[in-house]
Amino acid sequence: MKVSDRTITAGQAGIILFILLFANKVLVFPSLIFEGADFEAFLIPILSSILEMGLLYLFYKLKNRFPDQTFVQILRQHFGKAVQIVFYVAFSIYFLSKAVLLYNVTFIFFRNMIYKDAQNLVFLFALLPIINHLAICGLRVLGRTAQLFFPVILSIVVFCIIVGCFGIDSAPLLFQTSAAKFFTTFFRHFAPFGDTVFLFLIIDKVKVEKGQWKILFSCAGGALFLVCLVSFIFILSYSFTSFMHPFAIFEIMSFVKEYEGLGRLDLISMILIILFTYFQLAIYLKMFMFSFDGVFEKIDQVYGVISFNVLFLIIINFLIVNLEQAVMYGQHILPFFNVLPFAVLPIFVLVMFARRKKEKKT
Amino acid sequence: MDVLKEIEKIKKQLHNSVDVASRVIQKNGVFVGFVYLKSMTDNLIFSQALFEPISNFEGELSFEVLSEIVKANDVEECESADFIKKILGGAVLIFLSNSEDVLSVDILHFNTRAPQEPPTSPVIMGPREGFTEDYKTNMTLLRRRFHSEELVFEELVVGKSTQTKIVISYLDGIVDKKIVKEVKKKIESIDIDGIVDSYYLIDLISNRPNSILKQIGQSEKPDIISAKMLEGRVAIIVDNSPIVLTVPFVFLEDLQNSNDYYTNYTYSTLLRFIRVAAILMSVLGQGIYIALQLFHYNILPMKYLITIADSTQQVPFTPFIEILFISLLFQILYEVSLRLPSYLGLATSVVGALILGDTGVKAGLLSPPTVIVVAIAKIAIYTVPEQSSQITLLQYVFILIGASLGLLGIVGASIYFLAYANTIENFGAPYLAPFSPFIFSDNKDGVLKVPLSSMENRPKSFKNEKRKRINESE
Repeated sequence: MKVSDRTITAGQAGIILFILLFANKVLVFPSLIFEGADFEAFLIPILSSILEMGLLYLFYKLKNRFPDQTFVQILRQHFGKAVQIVFYVAFSIYFLSKAVLLYNVTFIFFRNMIYKDAQNLVFLFALLPIINHLAICGLRVLGRTAQLFFPVILSIVVFCIIVGCFGIDSAPLLFQTSAAKFFTTFFRHFAPFGDTVFLFLIIDKVKVEKGQWKILFSCAGGALFLVCLVSFIFILSYSFTSFMHPFAIFEIMSFVKEYEGLGRLDLISMILIILFTYFQLAIYLKMFMFSFDGVFEKIDQVYGVISFNVLFLIIINFLIVNLEQAVMYGQHILPFFNVLPFAVLPIFVLVMFARRKKEKKT
Repeated sequence: MDVLKEIEKIKKQLHNSVDVASRVIQKNGVFVGFVYLKSMTDNLIFSQALFEPISNFEGELSFEVLSEIVKANDVEECESADFIKKILGGAVLIFLSNSEDVLSVDILHFNTRAPQEPPTSPVIMGPREGFTEDYKTNMTLLRRRFHSEELVFEELVVGKSTQTKIVISYLDGIVDKKIVKEVKKKIESIDIDGIVDSYYLIDLISNRPNSILKQIGQSEKPDIISAKMLEGRVAIIVDNSPIVLTVPFVFLEDLQNSNDYYTNYTYSTLLRFIRVAAILMSVLGQGIYIALQLFHYNILPMKYLITIADSTQQVPFTPFIEILFISLLFQILYEVSLRLPSYLGLATSVVGALILGDTGVKAGLLSPPTVIVVAIAKIAIYTVPEQSSQITLLQYVFILIGASLGLLGIVGASIYFLAYANTIENFGAPYLAPFSPFIFSDNKDGVLKVPLSSMENRPKSFKNEKRKRINESE
C-alpha cells in the first residue's frame, strides 16, 4: 500500500507545529519544573523555547537553500548514504520514544482522572486505530484535519489561560534556586522539546510561498509563548504546592471547579488534552513512517506503521509499565535523545552550509 | 416499398405490444403507412398534424411532398436501423409505397405533472416551483433562468433497457471544462440495464461509492440548481426524476439553504450557526450523554447530577440499552409515518409521543432526561434534512462509542470521521472545503454569510474558468 503524502500549506504545517510545541508541555511539564527549580521554573520554558526557535530558524535556512529536495536527498548528497541511514534510524528511535513518553503521561492522567483503574488495553483500543488512520491517510489529510480542529484547540487554550488568570494569588519570589539546580532541572525536563525537527523530515512537502514564513514562525512563537504563559500561571496559581498538582492545564481549570449552572470546567481542558493526545501521537507515527521510509526506501510504507505499532506495544507493555519507570525514562533517558535535534542535526546542517559556501567560492 | 410488410416487421420486432398502433391509407394509388406508440403520442396532434394534411392532399404523394405537408417541427428522414429507436422515442414513422425513404415525425406527448413546490424543500420567501419527472420541462425551467448563450445542454443515453436520457447542463465560460469532461466520461462508461431515477446515477458516478458520506449534490428546485451552476457546477438532469444532481459537491452546500439567500444575511448567519450546533448535538449528543452517565458523572454540576440520578435510579436498563431502545423506537415511528397516509401519520405521532414515551416514563422503563436527549438529537437532524441518513448512521456509531470508550472515544471517533471526510475529493473539490483546507474567500458564504455584494468571486474550493462574478469589468 502506497501512502499518498501530498504537500501541505504553510498554514497547515504551522498548525501541526503549534500542536506539537504546545501539546506535550501542558500536562506534567510545569509541575515537574517547579519541583526542581521553584519559582525560577518559568525561565525553563523560555530558555527551551529559544532553542526551539533556533531549530526553526535552521529549518528556514535549509528550506531556502534546498526548496524542492527531500531531507534524504540533502543528506545523501552531502554526507553519503551511510550518514543518511544513521540519521533516519536515529529519527525513528527519537519519534517512537517521544510517542511512548506522551502515551505514558496521558495514560497516567486519564487513569487518575476519568477512567479509574482502567487497563492499558482500553486506551490502546481508543488511540491506536485513530492515529493509524490519520497517519495512513497521508500528511495532507492530517494537516487538514488538524486545521479543522485548530479553532477549537486555540479557543480552549485561550479560555483555559483566561480562567487560569483568575486563580493567581501570589507574586513569585525570584532567584531562590541555585544555578546548578536550575540547569539540572532544565536538562531533565528538556525531553518535551525538539519537536520542530519534524519539519526537516517533510522539508519537501511543506509549501511555503513568498511571505508565508511568518505563519510558521508565528505558530511556533505563539505555541511557545502559550507554554511559558501556562507554566507561569500554573506556578503562580499553585505557589508552593505546584508539585502536588501534576496535570497543569487540568489543575488550572479545576481551580474554578463549579461555575453556577455550568458545572466543572475541567471537562474543557480534558477535551483539549484528548485532542492533543490524538494529534500528537498521529504526528509522531507519521514522522516514524517517514523515518522508516528513509531507512528502508524500497519497503512499503505500511510496514512502517506496523513496526511502530509493534514496537510501541512492546515498550509500553514490557519495558515501561509503571509510573516510576515512566519518570525515569522521561527525565533521565529521553533528554539525551534531544542531542539529535539540538546538537547533531545543527552541526551537520552548518557543515553543509559551509561546504556549499566553499564550493560556490571555488 | 411494401408498406404492410414493413409495418408487420416493426410490430414483430416490438413483440406485438398492445400499444403499437398502425394505420394504412391509400391516396391516389399510393399506400401511406403510419406506425407509432399509442402510449407516447397524442391522438389529436396525430390527426391534426399528420393524418389530416396527408388525407386532404390532392396531388401525388412523394417523400419530398410528405416532408413539406406535415404540420410538425421535428421531421427527418429515418434509416431502417433507427426505426425502433425512433418509435420508442415517441416518433411516428410514415412509409410510402412509392418511396424507399421513411419519414420520422416527433410528436411525443404524455401527461406530466406541472411544476409544484417540492415537498422536500419548501421556502418561506423565494420561488416555489420545483422540477418534474419530465426532463424537457426541467430543461425549460433552467432555460427560463438563463437567457444567454452560456447555458449548454448535452444529452446522453444510459441503460440498455430503459434508454434513459441524461442531460448534462453547465454554463460555458464559467465551468471548468475538465469537470464536464470527467462527468461525461463517467456517465458514458456506465454499463447498466436501467436508470430508473437520478439516485441510480449517484452511486455510479461517485468517486467513493462505498462511502457513507453524500458526495453528489441534489435538489428539486431550479433556483438552487441555477445558483450552483452560476458558481461553476455541472447539473445532471435525469429523465423521469424530479431530482437534479450537481457536481462537484462539498459538505457546506447542505448547510446552506435557499431561504438564506432570500432573507437578511445576518439572520442567515445566525441560522447557519444554529444548523452547525444542531448537527453537532444530533451526532454527538446521545453519545456524550451516555459517556457522561457511565464514565464522567463526576464532572456534571451537582444539581444536574442529583436530578439525573433521581430520575434514572428506577430505570431497570443501562443508559446504553435505554437510549438505543428510544432511538430505535423513533426510527420505527419515522419509517411508519413516511409510508402511511398523512391522516394516519398523525395517529402514529400520538401513539409514539404520548402513549409509548409518556407511559414508558411513568412506568419507570424510561428516564425523562434520556427521552429529552434522544428527542433533541432526532429533531435536530432535520435542520439539515439533506444529511439525515448520514447523521442517523453516525448517531448509532457515537452511541456505541460513548458507551464503550467515553469521551476519549467520542473525540477520537470525531477525529476519525473528519479525517475520513478529508480524504474525499469529488471532481477536484475537497469535501470539507472551505473549512479544511481553509479558504478565506469561500468562507464569506460558509457558516458566516456576507451580503451578496461582498461575494465578488466564485468559490475557490473547485476550479472554474471565471473567478469574478461581481464587477467583472473592473
